[in-house]
Amino acid sequence: MATQVLLPKIGFSMNEAVLAEWMVADGASVTEGQALYAIESDKSTQEIESPASGTVKIIAQVGEVYPVGAVLAEIA
Amino acid sequence: MNQARSNKVNTIQAVNMALDEAMALDPNVILLGEDIADEQEGGIVGVTKGLSAKHGKARVRSTPISEQAIVGAAIGAAMVGMRPVAEIMLMNFTTVAMDMIVNHAAKLRFMSGGQTQVPITIRTMTGAGFGTGGQHADYLEAWFAHTAGIKVVAPSSPAEAYGLMLSCIFDDDPCLFIENMPSYWNPGEAPVPGQRIPLGKARIVREGADVTLIAYSRILQDCAQVAERLAKEGIAVELVDLRTIAPLDEATLLQSVGKTRRAVVVHEAVRPFGVGAEIAAMLHERLFGRLKAPVQRVGAPHCPVPFSKPLEQAFLPQPSVIEAAIRQALA
Amino acid sequence: MTHRTEVDRRVLVDIYRRMALIQRSDERFRAVIKAGKIVAPYYSPRGQECIPAAVSVNLSDEDYVCTIYRGIHDMLAKGVPSKLLWAEIAGKATGTCKGKGGPMHITHPASGVMVTTGIVGSSMPIANGLALAAQIRGEKRVAVAYFGDGASNIGAFHESLNMAAVWKLPVVFVCQNNGYGEHTRYDIATSARRVSDRAAAYQMPGVTVDGNDPLAVYEAARAAIIRARDGDGPTLIEAMTFRFQGHVFGDADAYMAPGEKEAAMARDPVPRLRAWLVEGGVADSELAALEAAIEREIDEAVAFALDSPLPDVAELRRDVFAEELVA
Repeated sequence: MATQVLLPKIGFSMNEAVLAEWMVADGASVTEGQALYAIESDKSTQEIESPASGTVKIIAQVGEVYPVGAVLAEIA
Repeated sequence: MNQARSNKVNTIQAVNMALDEAMALDPNVILLGEDIADEQEGGIVGVTKGLSAKHGKARVRSTPISEQAIVGAAIGAAMVGMRPVAEIMLMNFTTVAMDMIVNHAAKLRFMSGGQTQVPITIRTMTGAGFGTGGQHADYLEAWFAHTAGIKVVAPSSPAEAYGLMLSCIFDDDPCLFIENMPSYWNPGEAPVPGQRIPLGKARIVREGADVTLIAYSRILQDCAQVAERLAKEGIAVELVDLRTIAPLDEATLLQSVGKTRRAVVVHEAVRPFGVGAEIAAMLHERLFGRLKAPVQRVGAPHCPVPFSKPLEQAFLPQPSVIEAAIRQALA
Repeated sequence: MTHRTEVDRRVLVDIYRRMALIQRSDERFRAVIKAGKIVAPYYSPRGQECIPAAVSVNLSDEDYVCTIYRGIHDMLAKGVPSKLLWAEIAGKATGTCKGKGGPMHITHPASGVMVTTGIVGSSMPIANGLALAAQIRGEKRVAVAYFGDGASNIGAFHESLNMAAVWKLPVVFVCQNNGYGEHTRYDIATSARRVSDRAAAYQMPGVTVDGNDPLAVYEAARAAIIRARDGDGPTLIEAMTFRFQGHVFGDADAYMAPGEKEAAMARDPVPRLRAWLVEGGVADSELAALEAAIEREIDEAVAFALDSPLPDVAELRRDVFAEELVA
């Protein structure tokens, strides 16, 4: 069953963030805890680790704004 | 104080009796407030006179001038089973303790998911008429009625004060008990000893078919006189004493206005955004098709309580204004 | 570690256990939040573990704690069960507060955590009240009020210390001085050289300790708690510390001096205590077993929180008053 990668709420007033960077390519193999992507909110830039191991299917695009809870990728 | 030979008491005596009785009944009842112990003369008008002598200074404590600390201490003690009665000397000073009252007392039961409760009673006094000016006579009941989790009680007579005070002390929720200062010394019927008045229930003081007059606290007495006067003209006023402002006894109000189809709400607090606004809105929402006239509201003008005597008199809603509003509802 | 007092080894290991629980819980909170599985503002206590751990070993379930929004360490050290804590932060019906309080209002009377407040300074007036009840009833209970250096400037601090001193309330005021009130450094906000200097103004003992030194905190807390239980009144303890994760998790922390955070992290009290215990003869395997048990506890708590149901909308009518509101 695929694990969804959800945009987290980091910070008091954060509602959305820009997907700044994917650290891996679409279809790549990732391990849990590996740096997966970076987000930019109005407060800071954060690197987020992968919540699971498997093959990543990228959904979100670099440079786009997503709300907290949005599905950014799936790991199967 | 010797009430044995009199069937009249004033509000100061009535509240004192209620506090005394509650303290005798339950060792968890404690009193906190500025100047309340007997060494400090038992309160600035003597409401707590004799109580520290009788029940001890551990349970009747004169506090520093520290409203946040007074209410906070009451909250903490209440959370572990005591029933503190905290005096905030004047209603304006509740503003100094707003964090404790609004952010804590009113909300801790809910935010704790029901694990803790805050059975405190905050006694406070206020009222225009003594020339004390804008910061010592304010009517803030609408603010607290608007705050979920706090009960707001305003007795209209000494006997009412006694019965409602006992209910507040033994209620498991935070209660704000508002005493009217200028009428403190007005005598009234003595209460029946031990008789509590339930919270959240209004009282039909006088029955009538023509118009419902809704009030609370001191001005209810003025309303009673106006109703009496109008009765001679053949206008039958049904007079309702809210007793408890929050939670509001909507059922009694709806039943009364459902019958009379006309309503006037009266309070000394300023008219805009006051308790009358909530009652009028509620009556309009629920009885729209049945009302014969819009609900009238009588309240003070929208300004701080002024000092100079003629201004202060103009500030306070006079019986003539109450009467005019009734006639307006009947027009 | 500056002290070599003869404190029972079991107490020291107990302090370490609480610190490790806090540290590992904090790491897991941040991981779970970053994974988007829990959505909540998170005020990390990382770096401040030592203070409540060393204070709490002197307390029982019958003693009271009042804490503030950066209080997860205070709660865990006092014994709030991990499962209930996690479920509350996840907003679930099985949380300490049925999901209605959230992380800033964790309450667990069974372990003595009577109130967590989101208002700076408000732990203190309420701690006074808990202490007052104990005093009137002749109980030996103590109330501990935790707060930060920023809170030492708010009115409630001054009112509470004054009242506690005048009435000799059995309360211990523990200021966790991490150098910052939100984004503002201590020295531009506070007129006292040390928060503990203010104790003299209120005629109570005041002491500043290294909040990362478990023995120093333990001793100061023990003395204050004994003093309170003996009816001699309150104490102000200022424990110097640092927060590794800024004010709220996710902050850029641009207001801090460069290298400041890194220097504090290099003095991390948790591995430091561990090393000192091993050096002092505690078996590494004992500590490892303890840590494994902690990880299991956290695993169970996370699973419990994520699997628990959300509260019913009917909860909006409950616990406003004692009686449920009519629909």
